[in-house]
This record gives sequence, structure tokens and C-alpha cells, in this order.
Amino acid sequence: MSSSEGMYDVALKPKLLRSLLREYVPDEKHPFSNPSELLYVVSTVKTQKLLSEWAPLPLEQDLVDAWKSAVDSWVHRLLTLASSLPPVVSHLLKAASCASLSDMFTRLSGFSNAKKDGTSQATRIIQPALKLLNEDSSAVVLEEAVCLLCTVINFFPLSVHRHYDSKAIQALKHISHWQVEAAIVSKLMSGKCCADVLKKLGYVLSLLPKSRGDEDSWSLMMDKILLCLNSQLNDAFQGLEEEVRSTQTLRALLPPGKDSPPPLGGLASEQTSDLSTRKPERLLGSRISTLMQCCCNLLTSSYPVMVPVPVSGLIALVSRVLMVDGSLPPSSYSFMTTLKQEFICSEIPLLQLHGLEILAAVVQGLRSQLLPHVAAIVQLLKEYLRRCKFPDLKIKAYVIMKVLLMSMGIGIAIHISQDIVSNVFMDLDFLGGEKDEKSSGLHTKAQMGLSSESRLKKRKHSSLASSLQEQPVQDGLEVEKLHSTPISVKIAALEAVEALLTVGGSMRSESWRANVDHLLITVATNACKGGWSKEERSIFLSGDCTPTWADFQLASLRALLASLLSPGRLRPSHLALGLELFRRGMQETGTKLAEYCGHALLALEVLIHPRALPLLDLHSSTNEYNVPGPKIRDTVYASGDRQISTYQAGPGDPESEDDDLYENWHGNDDYLETRVTESQQNAHYSEKYPATATDPSLDELPFVKGPSLNHTTKEGEVLVSVSGRNDNRMVDTDDYMVESPRSRNTQDQIADKALDTAIDGCAAVQSGKNALEGVDLEPASQKIALVENDVMVKSNVISELHGGMASTSEQQVTGTKDNGVTTIVKRISATLSNTDRSKELMFESDNELSSDFPDIVDGDPDSD
Amino acid sequence: METEVVVASSPTDAGISCWDLHTGPSTSATSRVPPLPTALSLSLAAFLPPPKSESPSHRLRLGPSSIGPGARFDAFVFIVLGPQVEVRSFPAEPIKPLVSNSRGTYIAGGGVSGDIYFWEVATGKLLKKWHAHYRAVSCLVFNDDESLLISGAEDGSVRVWSLFLIFDDARREEMKHLFEYSFHEHSLRVTDVKTGYGGSNAIIVSASEDRTCKVWSLSKGKILRNVVFPSIIDAISLDPGEHVFYAGGRDGKIYIAGLNSPVTSNNNYGLHIVGALSEHSKGVTCLASSADGFLLVSGSEDGMIRVWDTRTRNIIRVFRHTKGPVNNVLVIRQPKYINPRTSATSLSSAPRRQGLTLPPPLEKFANSPDENPYVKVLIGPETLPNQLLDSPYISVQTMEAQIKELQQQGSSAAADVDVERLKSEQLRSVQMIQQWKKMYENLHQFCVSELLEGSQTESANGQNL
Repeated sequence: MSSSEGMYDVALKPKLLRSLLREYVPDEKHPFSNPSELLYVVSTVKTQKLLSEWAPLPLEQDLVDAWKSAVDSWVHRLLTLASSLPPVVSHLLKAASCASLSDMFTRLSGFSNAKKDGTSQATRIIQPALKLLNEDSSAVVLEEAVCLLCTVINFFPLSVHRHYDSKAIQALKHISHWQVEAAIVSKLMSGKCCADVLKKLGYVLSLLPKSRGDEDSWSLMMDKILLCLNSQLNDAFQGLEEEVRSTQTLRALLPPGKDSPPPLGGLASEQTSDLSTRKPERLLGSRISTLMQCCCNLLTSSYPVMVPVPVSGLIALVSRVLMVDGSLPPSSYSFMTTLKQEFICSEIPLLQLHGLEILAAVVQGLRSQLLPHVAAIVQLLKEYLRRCKFPDLKIKAYVIMKVLLMSMGIGIAIHISQDIVSNVFMDLDFLGGEKDEKSSGLHTKAQMGLSSESRLKKRKHSSLASSLQEQPVQDGLEVEKLHSTPISVKIAALEAVEALLTVGGSMRSESWRANVDHLLITVATNACKGGWSKEERSIFLSGDCTPTWADFQLASLRALLASLLSPGRLRPSHLALGLELFRRGMQETGTKLAEYCGHALLALEVLIHPRALPLLDLHSSTNEYNVPGPKIRDTVYASGDRQISTYQAGPGDPESEDDDLYENWHGNDDYLETRVTESQQNAHYSEKYPATATDPSLDELPFVKGPSLNHTTKEGEVLVSVSGRNDNRMVDTDDYMVESPRSRNTQDQIADKALDTAIDGCAAVQSGKNALEGVDLEPASQKIALVENDVMVKSNVISELHGGMASTSEQQVTGTKDNGVTTIVKRISATLSNTDRSKELMFESDNELSSDFPDIVDGDPDSD
Repeated sequence: METEVVVASSPTDAGISCWDLHTGPSTSATSRVPPLPTALSLSLAAFLPPPKSESPSHRLRLGPSSIGPGARFDAFVFIVLGPQVEVRSFPAEPIKPLVSNSRGTYIAGGGVSGDIYFWEVATGKLLKKWHAHYRAVSCLVFNDDESLLISGAEDGSVRVWSLFLIFDDARREEMKHLFEYSFHEHSLRVTDVKTGYGGSNAIIVSASEDRTCKVWSLSKGKILRNVVFPSIIDAISLDPGEHVFYAGGRDGKIYIAGLNSPVTSNNNYGLHIVGALSEHSKGVTCLASSADGFLLVSGSEDGMIRVWDTRTRNIIRVFRHTKGPVNNVLVIRQPKYINPRTSATSLSSAPRRQGLTLPPPLEKFANSPDENPYVKVLIGPETLPNQLLDSPYISVQTMEAQIKELQQQGSSAAADVDVERLKSEQLRSVQMIQQWKKMYENLHQFCVSELLEGSQTESANGQNL
């Protein structure tokens, strides 16, 4: 039975453990073999779970015993080994003990009934751990000791707090707490630790308030850190900024009436002790960044109670850091050596990065509660984005902008959109279409250059300073790259603009929307021009995520989708190009990009095939396209503005992305209009249909149009599918009149007319038995006709006024140019201007009408 | 599954009743308040009747599920904390509509003078106060991302405010006006305003005593639709899918007006009105919708609360609140985990510490931004992940790091160990050699002395012989 389970057999495990012990674990006879064998032992124990005893339910006592004894001998062997190890490896032993203790406490915290025991055990471990901290132990031991402290504070917070409780001396109650703080701070300030240890020290410092878990300890720790930071900044920026900055910040940190807290770590004197060493600036830099990280941790790691976050102070401090640019004010030159300035300048980018991280932490930690302070942050970021040159810093600033937009919503988007857009335009190197030819030729070169450059720049934060120093060499080698933004910044800019479009793409966006849409399609087209780049990363690069060209492609496509989906006043003008990009991208099977393109196509599908799915099955309609839309009844509403009335995505399309609601309402007016003209003014037909006829895109459909009109008046539902089919093609003709001020005017005129005659029209049209159905179904061709009607009415009006035809068509062209003049408009206007005399056109149109559309004229009386 | 709770209030009776929307028969008692999360604050604004006493020390309540007997309030906010706690606030003037954001961090109130007040709940501070309308503010609502505040007033105007702008002093100076939009199409008092999903593309629906409801586009800032009703509409509720909206009239009917819906040819009531629910004998004062959009809760002047199934348009439940009019109903969702952080942490005192302390009363006067350097927040995620599941164990990682270190040191560490071992072996060998040597010397000594003694005795014997 057991053999059938093979490697899953539980009985195998004790045996395996024993053989491991026998073959690989060192003992007195085989003292210390190859370390890689140890690795094998560790991984085997881990994957097979050899030390976690369990047994399948029909309990086999033999198995239980065997395993138990195997584990016992394992433990015995390890203990023997540990006690006999020579002092050479004692630091490893210490580190290992700390790590295993830490895991023991983690595990202990899982048992709710062992809380008390755990706390008392943890209390006993604090002093030895502190001793390890205070000794000059090696980095490995330090790291593990700090880890142990973190675990204890996290899971048994009372142990730190309560350490001296037993002595019942009230004054000593928090001594342990102070001790821990003092030990950490002195280590932190000593400058003898490596970056990893510093980071962990900062983390444990930020955890300390949790040991008491009340509002005051958090607040106290925050105040101490901020004040300490401020005084460190005084040292660092001495001579680089105006003297008042320091006092200003101090005032923000310590509002009047607030007592200054005791110094961090309780040891003010020690902080300056090491400043005389060889590289004081480096030391200052690492201290400040550790404290700043600690501040971030405080702001982001969860805390059991509500805490007062000193937002004003934080913003003041960050602003102090961000506004330093390393240049010497003329007055202070004498106080500072050039050498010191150089050193500080090399530290500033790192400090600013941490400053931005604090800002990000504030935004993240306070969420919507940031409201009273958002304006200050936006102002600061705006100013910083203007000055900042370093890619990593710029990226961070963009990310904060993005998070702000997402968390504060439309209310902020409408006010800061312009700032974001102008920055994005700069960073995307957007110079109209001018770069197109160049970039295709330079593509591979640029790509390689970008990736190598970004590899340099996108190192970990700790090495930022050094990579910045390397920068000049890089620039010297590739002069032409000087002017282009690194790919990583471009990605961040694209993400910011994507967020902007998502949140506030349609409200008050007239001023920038068209430009941004154009920018995004251009960027995406250029990014994808050279084909799809491979997503695979070189295994020789460490896990660090350097953005590749593929990432850029993905970011550009994401922004493009947002631009296409975010409702604007017009149908997305780059829809066709976008669809093609996504379609091509989707063929790159198995990549993230293809996945995203698939999603994009799905999302865009509703733009192409709009339909109204009824929420409730109020009346059993068989065809989803023929659900009569609300527009049919909207006769009352005819006020306001005709601006986008010609924009029709389709008859049954209340849920399309394109401003559906607004145009739905207008659709009826248009429709009404049509009916009015149909029933009362036959003359309008002569204006309407010539226009459709001149439209080349409709030339191929006259047979559809005729019958569908015809049939709707007779059989109602049957032919709706025809009109549904129609409108996909018709839609194309709709867009281009939209913003023309002319057409708006004429539309208004028509609307007025429509209003006046609305009721009459209703009565007239609905007199027939089938009329209502016919009306409800509202073939698209009618609407298209209507669209063209606007144009023709316009020309008609103008011809009546004997105005110059040429000027009208000119206006029309200029009015629509922004949206990309298409062949349709061109041809219409061409027709218009070619004739040069309005009457000729009208005659011509009339002729065309009568020859092409006899049915319609016939059909109309039927419906009456 | 979250349970949904109907909460109702009345201006004449101080009690608040709660029922389970889906299962509940009426358990009409204020004592049966189910526990609710702290962050959830509810705003109950009184639309009916207008304030009876215009006393300056108007009482606004922050607090519990029950209101003391005999007290009459035009407005109160309650944050359900427990059955007995309450906070009374005394704003500068009578506040009619009140609304809080979904996290319960801010409360906005509209005064009879036309001012809008904006408080921070945690500190009770009046962060901002601005003059919004010429006459009393009658309704307030946040938009879906809670960055805009939409107010309706007795002067018939509906205004949209960006909270960002309200708090940005520098930018405000540059603007001609504080509001984003101001809609003036209503000719009489605005009775209710609601808004839907869609961020910048959302729609706003407003009802007025001029017997119309108007639909506005947020992105365009224009009117989209005007619906004329047979009666004054006092309450509106948007279907969550924004398919239709419901309008509760003073004639006791709830009209259904189409937004996106397919329209039937039923034209009994007027354009856009696709139907009506009628059962109330008196006017409908308030409406609320369930999360799935299928249930509609209506409160009436006759003191009854009715739950409708909007698909069948039938009443499926009736709750009796009071004899007097119901002036507000709310449907609130009750999360499964009441207080995840409390249950996750080990602190025994956590429930008490968990911010369950009462928020302070709302302050009367605004203070300058400089006086608000602190923001009180609860840092961390709303719900803590289960720590037991993803507790990080570090031993393996440490071991691997150490092994790596050993490998890097390569032979040196191992050699050290070997040297140690060899040294001790050598020492042992040396000791052994010395021991052997000693033994050998001893033996040698013995032999020599034996020999010498033997020869002496022999020679002595020989002489003797």
C-alpha cells in the first residue's frame, strides 16, 4: 500500500531524514564537508517537509514513532554540532540563533493560548539582542539581531514595553523601550553599518511605537525623527539655502505651544561625535536617508489606533529637501568649500528621492483625508517637476501625481490637468510628427541606447549617487542621446497621463484633450513601429526591473486605450489606427502585451458595435438592436446646445462609451426634426438627399437606404436589422461636422423649428396605424440623412442669402480640420467649392435626388 | 454576503429603526441595532418638515443609534458605535442636510443661511465654511469619487463644488467663482439631488418643487433632460445601473423615469415616465435603493416603510416605523467582518482602543489652515491580511545566506576548521610520542638496572662458588 504512493508516501519521510543525517550532516567523524551539500540538505528538508511531523488519519503507530525518533536524533545531532563548533564560526552561530529564535516567536504568535508565555520569553530575549547590537558584531549578526527585535515587537509588543514592570518602579517602566531606542539610534548614527543593516535599523525604529500601541508614542517618535532630521539637514545644507528655511521648517514641525520632545535616542551628544571622520557628508547623507525611510515606514505601516500625522511639518520638511539645488547663494560662498559642495551635491539626489518617498507615503497613508493639504503638495510637486532633471526623481514625482489623481478624483483632475499635460508633452519629446522619419531609422540604435542608459540609471536607490557620477561619461559617448528622455521617464509620464484620462478625461478637457489624443496615438504608433520587442530579460541582469522597450510599448498602448475609451466630445478620432495597433499586438501570443491588446480590443468592441441591452425584459423584443431607445420620446427636451447633435454612434446605443447619454437626447431632436421636415416641408428632402448622395461612403448603400425607409413605414420590425447593419458604416460620416460652428447655428435654427412644430409633427406622423412602430425603429439611414441634412441646410441657407459659397466651404474645412479632415468632408467641400455657385449645386443635388431616391418620396406619404 | 440594513428616522419620533432588508420582519426597536463598523457614518438629513425652532443652538448629534426622548432634531448624523454613546454638537446655525463621505472621515452640512460647513470627524474641526447659496441649502451629496460636493438650495440652484479648490487658497484667489457649475434651471426649491457612477461622466439628477426633475451632465455642465411630473417630487433614487430613476411624489406615487431604459408606450404620466408604484396613502418622503438595484425602499408621511421589488413592481415588505412621517431611510451594507483589525491583533484591549472612542463634537467655528497641522488617520489597510497565513519565516533564508558566505570564503573557513583539527591531532600525537618515549625510557631503565643487578649477583655467586 505504501509503495503505491511513491514519493508521496509518508513513511518515506523518516527514512529520508535519517539518510540525510547519515550522509550529509557533519558529525565528529566528518567534521565539515562541502557547503553545497548543506544547501542540498536544507532544500530537501524544506521541500519534503521532513521536520513537520504529521500522519495520515488511520494512525500508524510505527510511522509516528519512527518519525519522532528520526526528528529527535536530528535535533540531538544539531545540538551536539552547535556546542562543539570552533569559535571561528561563532558569528554564524549567533546569527543562526537569532534567526531561529525569531522564527520561533513568529510561530509562537500563532498560538493564541501561548501569548503570555510568549511575552515572558520575549522579554528575556530583549537584553541579549541589545547586547549584540551594542557590541561591534559583524553585519550578519547585526542584521539577524535587528530581525529578532522586529519580530518580537511585531508579535509580542508588550515584551518591550513591560520589560521592567516586575520591578514595580514606575519611573523605570519604559526603560527597556528607551534602551532599545538608544541602542538603535546610536548604531544608526555611528555610520559603521552597511546599507542593508541601516535599512533594517530604521525599520525597527519605526516599529518601536507599536510596543505601546498608543497615539502618544507614535506621535512622539514621529516628532523626534522629524526634529532630528531637521537638525541633520541644517548640517547638510549649511550654506546651500537661506538660513530662514531651517527656522521656518522648525516652526512647522513644532507649532507654537508645543513642547519640543526629547532628542532621538536620548543622546544628543553622540550624534556629532563622528562628524569629524573622513567623509562627513557621506555619513550625513546615509543618516538622513535612514531617518527619512524610517519616517516613511511610520506613515505606511499599519498602526492599531488613529494617530495625528503632522502633515504640515512633513510637507515643510520635504519641501526643504526638494527645493535645494546645490547651488551656492552668492552671500554664503565663503562659508563653504567647493569640496564640501561637491560632496553634498552628490548626496542631494538621494535625499530628494527619499523626500519624494515621504510625500508618497503621506499621500498613501492619508488617502482622502489629505484634502486640506493637497493644494500644498500639488504646488510643491509642480515646482519640483519643473526643476527636476534626474530621471529617477522625475519618475517618482510622476508616480505621486498619478496616485494623487486616482485618490483625490475628478475634483483635483480638472484643476491640475494642465500642469500634468504640459510636463508630459515635454517628457515624451513630442515635436509633432517631425520625428517620425528619424525615429524609424534610428530605431534600433535608439533602442539599444535607451536600454543601456536606463540600465545605468535605474539602479537601486542606494547606488543612485554613483550612477549619477557615471552620467557624464555616458553623455560624452552618446551625444545625440542628450536630448531624449530616458525610457523609464517616458513610461512614468504615460502612466500619469493615463491616470488623468481615466479620472478626468471628459470634464473640462477641451483645451488639452485633442492634443493628448494625438500625442498618444503618435507615441504608440512610433513605439510599435519597429515591431514587437521581446519581453524576455537577460538573466545576467539582476532581478532589478529595468524597463525595456517592451515595457514602453505596453505603457503607450495602455495610455492609448485610456484615450480611446475616455469619453470626449467626439468619437475617438484615432480609433481605426488604435484598433489596428491592438490587433497586431494581440498576435504576439504569450506576451503581456498580447494579453493587454486582447483586453483593449474587448473594451473597444462596444465602440464599434454599440448596442443597448435592456436591463429588464419589459417587452419581449426579439432583436437586441431594435429596442426602441428613449430618444423616441424625448420631444420635450430641445433646449440648450446642439453642439454634438450630429454625433451619432447608432440608433440603439445608449451604453456606448461615447457620451451616449448626451447624444441620445439629441438623437430624438434630430429625429423629430426629420419627421417634421418629412411631414411638413417636402422641400427639405431636396436638400437632404442630395447631400447623402454626394457622400461617397454612402454611394454604395442607396439600395439599403431606400428599402429600409420604405419598409419601416410598412412592416416595422422586419427591417431593423438592415438599419442596424447600416449604422456601422454610417457612423463614419457622422463625426466630422461636429465642431463646426456653422452647423451648430443651423442646427439651432432647425431645433427651434422642431420645437415649434414638434407636436404637430407628432400628430401628423403618428396618424397611421403602423406609424408608431416605424417611428420607434428609426432606421439609421434617416439619421444619416439628417446629418447630411445639416450640411445641406447650411448651404441652402447660405445660398438663399446669396452669400459666397466658397467662403462657407472654407469655413467648413477649417472647422473640421482639427479632427482630421477625411475624404468625406473633403469631397463634400470639394463639391461645394467646385461649383462655385450655390445654385448650380442645388440644381445638381436636386437632380441627383430625384434620380436616386424615388422610393423615399413615395414612402413618405405612407407614413403620413 | 453582506447583509443590508434599512435604517429609518422620523422628525417627530426620536427613535431610529433598523431592519434587515432581505430577511427582516419588522424588529422595530431602537435597541436592536446591529453592530456596524466604526468608519461607517450615516447621514440623515431632514427634508420634512422644515425646522420648527430656529434656535441658534441647534443640536446636531454625532453618536448613537438612539436619541433621547423628547428631543426634536432637524438633522443629525449618527455613527453607530454602540447603544449608549452620543455626542452632541452645536453648530452655529441650524443645519438641514448632512452628508458624510464613505470612509466617515468628513461631514458636510448645509446651513439655513446658505453656508456649507465641512467638518473633520476625527477631530471635530470645522475645516471650511463657505457661502454657497443665497438661501438655505436643502440637499447635499458627494459624487462617486467624493471629490465633488453637489448642493441644492431653496433658491432653486444646484451647484457643484470641487473640494480641492475649496481648500486651495492660492488657486481660489484666481478663480472668478468658487463653484464648478451652477445650474439655475429650477424655478423653485430644490428638494433632492442624487448622482450616479461614472466619475467625470456621471449624471446628476435633481428634484424640485417646480414639479420637475432635471438630469445634468457633469462632464458638460449642461442639462440633459427635463422630466415634468404630475406632483412635487420630494425624493429621488437612482437605479444603481442608471437605467431609470425613481421619484417619490407628494401624491404618494413613486414615479419611474427612464434614463437609459427602453420605453414603453405607456404615456399616462408624462414624457420619460415609464411607470409608477403606488401604494402610499400619503406623500413619499424618502427613497433608497439596495445594492443590487432590485429593491427600492420608500418612506412615507404615514410612517410606513415599504420595500418594493422593482422587477415586479410589487411591495414585498412593509415596516412600520412611527405614526408620524418618516423623513429618511438609508440602506447600509454591513460587512461580514465588523472589525477586522480587532480580531487580527492580539491586544486584549484592542476593541476599546480601536478608535471606538467617540469623536469629539463638531466645532462651531472654522479655524485657519495653519491651525490644522495634524490630520488624524488610521494608518494601514482597512482589513489586515491574516497574519498567521503569511508570517514570514527567516531561518531558511538566513541559512542559505550563511552557506553562501561559507562558500564564498570557500576553502578558507573549511581550511581553518581543518587546521584546527590537524593542530589538535598533532598535539595528541606529540603527547603520545612523549608518552611512548617515557615508557620506553622507563623500560630501558628497568632493563639496565635489571641487568646490572643480575650481573652483580652472578659475579657474587661466582665468587662465592
